[in-house]
Amino acid sequence: MSAFEASAPAAPPVPASFPPKELRQACDEIVARYPTRMAACLPVLHLAQKHFGGWISPEVEAGVAAYLEVSDSHIRGLLTFYAMFNTRPSGRHEVWVCRTLTCWLRGAAGLRRTALAKAGVDRCGVESPDGRFLVKDMECLGLCEVAPAVFIDGAPHTEVTTESLEQLMDACE
Amino acid sequence: MTAKKKASKKKAAAKGPAGSTPAPARAQRGADGVYPETQILSRNFGVEDSWTLAVAREQGAYTMLEKALATMTPAQVVEEVKTSRLRGRGGAGFPTGVKWGFIPQDSKKTKYLVLNADESEPGTFKDRYLMELDPHLVLEGCLLCAYATGLDVIYIYIRGEYPLSITRMEGAIEEARQAGYLGKNILGKQGFTVEAHVHPGAGAYICGEETGMLESLEGKRGHPRIKPPFPAVEGAFGCPTVINNVETLAHVPCIIEFGGAWFAGLGIQPDPANPRALGSSGTKLMGVSGDVKNPGVWEFEFGITLRELIYDYAGGPLDGRKVKAVIPGGLSMPVLTAGELDVPMGYDALQKVGSGLGTATAIVMDDACDMVEACENIAHFFADESCGQCTPCREGCHWMEKIFARIKAGEGTPKDLDLLEHLFVNIEGRTICALADAAVWPLRSILRKFRHEFLAQMPGQSDPALPAGSAAVGAR
Amino acid sequence: MADNKPTITIDGQVLAYEPGQTVIQVAHEAGFDVPHYCYHPGLSIAGNCRICMVEVDGWPKPQVSCKLQPSPGMVVHTQSALAKSARAGTMEMLLVNHPLDCPICDQAGECHLQDYSYQLGQGEASSTTAKTKLPKNVAFGEKIVYDAERCIKCTLCVRFCEEITQTNELAMSGRGDHEIVIMTSKGEFDTAYSMNIIDLCPVGALTSRDFRFKSRLWFMDFTESLCTGCARGCNVVTGGRDGAMLRMEPRANAEVNQWWLCDEGRLDYAHVNGADRIASPRIKTADGVWVQATVDDAITAAAVALREAGGDVLLDGGCTLEEMLLARDLAKVMGGKARYAAATGGGDKFLRVDERGANAKGAEGLGLARATKAAAAAVVIVERDAHVPAALRDGAAPVVVFATDAASVPASARVVFPHGSWAERDGLLVNTDGRIQVINRNPAVGPDNIPATADVLEEILGELDPAYDWRGRGGLHAALRSESAFAKAQFPAMQSAGVGVGA
Repeated sequence: MSAFEASAPAAPPVPASFPPKELRQACDEIVARYPTRMAACLPVLHLAQKHFGGWISPEVEAGVAAYLEVSDSHIRGLLTFYAMFNTRPSGRHEVWVCRTLTCWLRGAAGLRRTALAKAGVDRCGVESPDGRFLVKDMECLGLCEVAPAVFIDGAPHTEVTTESLEQLMDACE
Repeated sequence: MTAKKKASKKKAAAKGPAGSTPAPARAQRGADGVYPETQILSRNFGVEDSWTLAVAREQGAYTMLEKALATMTPAQVVEEVKTSRLRGRGGAGFPTGVKWGFIPQDSKKTKYLVLNADESEPGTFKDRYLMELDPHLVLEGCLLCAYATGLDVIYIYIRGEYPLSITRMEGAIEEARQAGYLGKNILGKQGFTVEAHVHPGAGAYICGEETGMLESLEGKRGHPRIKPPFPAVEGAFGCPTVINNVETLAHVPCIIEFGGAWFAGLGIQPDPANPRALGSSGTKLMGVSGDVKNPGVWEFEFGITLRELIYDYAGGPLDGRKVKAVIPGGLSMPVLTAGELDVPMGYDALQKVGSGLGTATAIVMDDACDMVEACENIAHFFADESCGQCTPCREGCHWMEKIFARIKAGEGTPKDLDLLEHLFVNIEGRTICALADAAVWPLRSILRKFRHEFLAQMPGQSDPALPAGSAAVGAR
Repeated sequence: MADNKPTITIDGQVLAYEPGQTVIQVAHEAGFDVPHYCYHPGLSIAGNCRICMVEVDGWPKPQVSCKLQPSPGMVVHTQSALAKSARAGTMEMLLVNHPLDCPICDQAGECHLQDYSYQLGQGEASSTTAKTKLPKNVAFGEKIVYDAERCIKCTLCVRFCEEITQTNELAMSGRGDHEIVIMTSKGEFDTAYSMNIIDLCPVGALTSRDFRFKSRLWFMDFTESLCTGCARGCNVVTGGRDGAMLRMEPRANAEVNQWWLCDEGRLDYAHVNGADRIASPRIKTADGVWVQATVDDAITAAAVALREAGGDVLLDGGCTLEEMLLARDLAKVMGGKARYAAATGGGDKFLRVDERGANAKGAEGLGLARATKAAAAAVVIVERDAHVPAALRDGAAPVVVFATDAASVPASARVVFPHGSWAERDGLLVNTDGRIQVINRNPAVGPDNIPATADVLEEILGELDPAYDWRGRGGLHAALRSESAFAKAQFPAMQSAGVGVGA
């Protein structure tokens, strides 16, 4: 293919059946809170990401889009705008390292290096080769008085040191 | 993570349950010269299980809602808040009562309150304490606002990074609903029907901007809206909407309890000679984080100086270190140097010295901090969080970050500093929302106040004015 | 000021405005060239590109004029130091990550980024840092190619799909300077109007796969005309070069197509560039061999053949009013009637209508019957196979044929004239709403030197009817005005946007 030829579009994903029966009631309750179905996007995507292994695949994206009666490109636009959503497999454990000023002053750069080394990756945002970790560089997590802060699988850890971070990550299966 | 509890030094608290105590008196520095805490918003922070309705009710939760419903008209509540001169606690400092007055009372549309609990401003964690430790106070404030302005639905937009705040606020809503503080004809008041829901954010600084938040609430990307129309007329879902910060509304019950005039008497009075100096009435949760011994959050009457806050409460710099620079309120305000700390914490006073109160949560940088690297870190934040909508911010924030990175890599020249000044001009005030301004202010002030540190990292540049050893900074 | 309308002052000129107008609209109406990217009069206001900033007296910050609502007495400066520096600053930001690949960009020559850069830009580059890498050559369906590096994120394309077609195929993705436009994973548009986003795109981020790399714009000829794909009569500009039509783009007409054009109409020019185009008149010799003839010889031969045959004229529903009037006169001389034929179907709720004959309404006005089944006719005029299919034209068994393509000439023909496509002819068409509009010949399209069908018809009429006076365009228009159907109609000057029938 010449460099000037546009790539052919990939085959469209088969929408996942959404919501799965375990989430049906919760999703319907969320939708009922708002005057539009679109407004339920963020809370429903939070549920979906938790349910489907920590990330939103193109199939789930299409399923959520169909459920909320919005286009799948709209959902993709949200997933890529909001830092908490993942559009690629996210490992069994998601490690967020706050990188913003207060945590950086208190040693976040070292924590980031430690987390990446532990995961065996050279940059944030990619799943570790063994599928165990996804390390994400996050902006201020709002735990500044107990900086530096790290979240592991949604749970906050504060006043973290490189040693305590190693222990925390070692404890992850 | 429960909000960290800190032992307090001195307190002038409203002791005992709300509604049963006299109004706290004005704060006076003691014989030791220490400015005391005034615990009104924070009076339940130390109470065990303070977030449950049972405990909160023992502390007088919802008694001010009962009082307002029984004895005041909505217009009287608005008037009381106007009298209090309460200003928004989210950073912009807009008079709350005036904002409420913008809600059109003749509109047939549903009216919304969107409580700004996004608290995405770096270095800011005060609202988290309120939501985790006194969610019923927050909800009572919301309900008083709903009563005063005739609102139907409350959405509490909490950032996704605050899982405990989400849990506690959802729990409080559920308890309040069962106790009749939410739902139809609240406390038997015919027609006072309000629902409340928590709406979780998902990681975007810009959703703390009020119209970015509205977009996000509607299930869209948090691109701030171009005004007019203003949210009071056309806000959430095209309907009249009040948007207030958590702390702002948490103040309302005590204004009902002790009166707007009492609240207005606390803090710093307006300057009659300067119509733009609206004063800083009441108390404020103030915090310190960064390079200090005892970071935390405390409640003070406006008027404590930044130096007192840092040294008397936050414990001062770490052993062997000196304070070098302080951003007084979040990340988005111009920096102050160690010599500029004797400024009272207040909206107008901080503006007068070229900075701003912001969220009143200071970030302290000590003499180990490399200001070039700090600028790279700050610029990265704004580049990362720029929503991408307006050209100057989208392109400019990242451009600034690249220049700081270049200087840090030892490849900068003095021309880069001129280029940065040129970019500041073309970024500030050229966009839909204030994110771009927020990016420029700390960076420009650091560049101007610590120019020698930038020159010191440029090959072949030396500044004769550079004090010996001042560029000796540790790598982070 | 007239009418006591409120006024504002722009660069010293006092201008009245209508409530609801924004400053950029007032400025544009008065002829001020306020630049803009994200503003489009047919779409909601985004206010994000920041290139239209102006200075307002009493306001500390420059304001985007696309959103700025005038208030009485407002004083606006488009050329003050602040306004100029604000726009130049935005321009610099727009270019900092732009690939500057104008030499291989299809938009070059009609790119607002180029234009304003020339006006506002500085000679010296301030950025020495690496540019952000973003996706290139992304297929947006089969017809459109997206280049995120050229994209200035004005969101016009996204807003078009949200507000005009309401099909929402596009969305913004990512954040900050990694923001790009993405398409639904279905990979195709649900709308028949997708290619309008190419015209909307103020830069070269969205290009037409049909037109990509075919020609630099400055080598082409552009002519204002109409789309003849259906009877809507959407206003267009045809672009051609060296005999080939290369592209068609919509031209704004608030009364007809606003700013838009359907994809099918836009791409409906294969027959214009057909391999089998008839380039000169031909006569069939007595022994059945086709020979090329001069126009004059062919006219003489046609007159001879028609005197012999006589009868009806069958013509394409895309013929002009002038051609139809002449065909009707010719049929009368031959003792027959003129009929027209046109395809139907394909209408939608937006622009496209079921009637495909671009001048069917004109034919009705002239009292021509619609041919639905095969019947004898001495003359057949055919541009589109879809309008005058083989069954009709072969069934007519004509002796004289005007055809665009050699394949449409029935075996019975004895004289053939080249019939220019709509892009090569001048004349009037009446659209579905009864509006008389103009098509114009693009000199760069079609075979050289083909005679105008209307001229040939007049010549033949002159041959058959000694009393016939040459009328030319002016005479024909006068004759059309005297038709009862068009008595109240306003006739547009040629080369204009068309006007409504005077109802």
